[in-house]
Amino acid sequence: MTPTATKSTIQKMPRILRRVFAALATVLAGGFLCALLIRLAPGYGFDEREMDQRMRAESIRAIRAERTETGFAALYWQNLRAAIGGDLGKSRALNRPIAELFAERLPVTARSMAIGLALAWVFALGLAAAMAVTRSQALNAFAAALSGATLALPSAVIALLFLLAGWPPGLAVAVVIFPRIFRYLDSLTRGILDQPHVLFAEAKGVSRARILAYHVLPVAAEEIAALAGISVSLAFGALIPIEVVCGSPGFGLLAWQAAQARDLPLLVDMTVIVTLFTIAANSIPDFFERAERAA
Amino acid sequence: MIRRLFLLATILAAAVALPARYAFAQTSNNELRFALRADPKTFNPLLMADEPSETVSYLTHGVLIRINRATQQLQPELATSWKVTEGGRKITFTLRQGVTFSDGTPFTSADVVYTFTSMMDPKLHSPIADTFQVDGGPTTAHANGKYEVTIAFPAPVAGLERLFDQAPILSASASGKEASPGLGPFMLAEYKAGNYVLLHRNSHYWKHDAQGKQLPYLDAVRLEIVPNRDLEMLRFAQGELHLINNLDADSFERMAAQNGGASNSARDLGPSLEGEQMWFNQVAASPLPDYKKAWFRSTNFRRAISGAINRHDLTRVVYQNHASPGVGPFSSANKFWFNANLKAHPYDPADALRRLQLDGFHKSGPDLVDASGHVVEFSVITNAGNQSRERVAAMIQQDLKQIGVHLNIVTLDFPSIITRITQSFDYEACLLGLVNVDLDPSAQMNVWMSSGENHQWNPAQKTPATAWEAELDQLMKKQATELDPAKRKAAFDRVQEIVSEQVPFLYLVNKNALTAVSPALGNTQPSVLRPQVYWNAETLTLAAPAAGSKQLAMK
Repeated sequence: MTPTATKSTIQKMPRILRRVFAALATVLAGGFLCALLIRLAPGYGFDEREMDQRMRAESIRAIRAERTETGFAALYWQNLRAAIGGDLGKSRALNRPIAELFAERLPVTARSMAIGLALAWVFALGLAAAMAVTRSQALNAFAAALSGATLALPSAVIALLFLLAGWPPGLAVAVVIFPRIFRYLDSLTRGILDQPHVLFAEAKGVSRARILAYHVLPVAAEEIAALAGISVSLAFGALIPIEVVCGSPGFGLLAWQAAQARDLPLLVDMTVIVTLFTIAANSIPDFFERAERAA
Repeated sequence: MIRRLFLLATILAAAVALPARYAFAQTSNNELRFALRADPKTFNPLLMADEPSETVSYLTHGVLIRINRATQQLQPELATSWKVTEGGRKITFTLRQGVTFSDGTPFTSADVVYTFTSMMDPKLHSPIADTFQVDGGPTTAHANGKYEVTIAFPAPVAGLERLFDQAPILSASASGKEASPGLGPFMLAEYKAGNYVLLHRNSHYWKHDAQGKQLPYLDAVRLEIVPNRDLEMLRFAQGELHLINNLDADSFERMAAQNGGASNSARDLGPSLEGEQMWFNQVAASPLPDYKKAWFRSTNFRRAISGAINRHDLTRVVYQNHASPGVGPFSSANKFWFNANLKAHPYDPADALRRLQLDGFHKSGPDLVDASGHVVEFSVITNAGNQSRERVAAMIQQDLKQIGVHLNIVTLDFPSIITRITQSFDYEACLLGLVNVDLDPSAQMNVWMSSGENHQWNPAQKTPATAWEAELDQLMKKQATELDPAKRKAAFDRVQEIVSEQVPFLYLVNKNALTAVSPALGNTQPSVLRPQVYWNAETLTLAAPAAGSKQLAMK
């Protein structure tokens, strides 16, 4: 490593550290708030065995005593320490190690998200590009109607339609996030197409495809990268009702089951994972922005 | 460009859709498939408290004595005979010889002793163990040889034999394992969380048919985990599932209408053991105003509210005639214990007002007010998401309006309701459905004893709050220790009479057992008792479906 490179790395260090510390603080605060909310939620500590008519009063009292033995702060601290040591704990509701549950559920969700995001981006970018190139009124009207209709439908209704059609949840994710991506892209390209230098290029006879490739996309790249980060979070949010309705055994369905059962260890771990994921997704545009500035 | 993008999108969608769509096509032809609403919480049969775990246990484990779901009579299983001695304090089993567990190890008395010793461990909190607990000392198991076992109780236990229907026998050689080898017709082969539990045929299963062919006939059972009821219906309609054990009335009607009576997919088996009931909070320490506590403790008030509810309308409108008015803790489905002399409280608003007047209630304009001038208004909590129950609550609201009572409906999620009715007691009335899994009233000791935690209207009393609850305590103790079935029946008949007179629970409806069975499934004998359709899983058969056939045309 040259002295210049070392100096550059040192200069960058505090910023990276700052980002890491901010991310850690966010994760810890998110986990704590989640735990606090669940602890205070009505129904926390419920054990369905209490409603089992076969159980004797002594057994029910013993079950209740077990769960009141550990205080909230102690419980959170125990879980945090275990998580740092690599043990995510055990789900109370599903009676299984949380690491195992994540290993089974995350790939299902990742697959649905990957399909949904890929399709939504391909379709939204394609449609926005086609509109920029053709300036067709008919295409404009079609795009407005399509995005308006899909935007108006709640995620659960879209999921129900896909369930009846027998299509996978990933396609439903694409339908949910497509209008959000498309409308932003459309607005972005329209704004850039109205810029004086673009109008001048068009007046000089530069083709629309060339204008799109050399004058619109480079200008919009930074905002598209930011939108990409946000779309990941959007897709994740959309997946919860979709997986619940479609019965897809992913992270969204797990979150729903955990919330219904007031499963504190599982919900806290899920919150931490989702927070990390969101931070990572939203750091991508920052990374691109810095890379561009450095260049 | 756009064309290429569309093409790419279509290829991607098809690549994702096709494997999911045709996943079922890869399964065995002789594989029974039906749905579980959730993942099993445990594969340890001694700890099962949820229905999915019970399903797996039922199919993979054997018991000493089985209650035949069709006849409701006891039949020998792993025990060829048994004898109750010492006035109901001991039961001695002679075990079936030549039986082996699914891993090939032989079944002996050591396995029975191991099972009962493990089950009775107080640290385990086994719901099954609690049914074997009797006051006065521990329940013990002793082997009297390789094929004879005695279970001893500290006090006489009435109806002792039927308890063993719920007690799966584990292998002593698999001590400490959660998924122990079993003596049932199937064995656990694979579990994919959130997807399915796959059971394979137990090649060591001991039962044979009349022709000497080893059972079960099926090669496998795939329990698909389908939390969504609509998705379960859809998969059944598409022929991907072979049965639905428990349908709601709306789904049943939809299926029957679309079926057009052409096939026997949807079956109404008549009254089940499941019912809907409502009760008032009578807990002295509850945070309710004193005047409301006085209403809810009044027998006249409870009886009047019960009489102001039109049960026939509930069965007709909400359950589309697939239910009957609720009479008491057991429906007529429980052939022995149901008190046939009792009738559902008739709908009679005039009689309801007359009873209320006895306690000083009177009409003031359109409202009913109590002797102190308080308008009679209360809320009922019930669980959100159960459409039938929410509609029952709405109809009760309309009925009570006729006598000037204002009812507010509050829907909460299940954990919130349970917290309110078991810990904070911050509620006025509650509407829930309770399921009887056992035919014998001894399984309801925790409900009827005033000290019971499931004595919902006023749980865990140190001494009975009322004379009739004291009488209930005596009668329940009597029926639990009396060995003469006729005397037991008389005691529990009186319990049912007291409950009908004092109305701690307002029994609203008894739902019918509604099931759906694929025409491809043979040898079925659906029963109103759980597990309704697959209780005789070892003798079920599957006919190969015609290519492309559907069980019914759902739209």
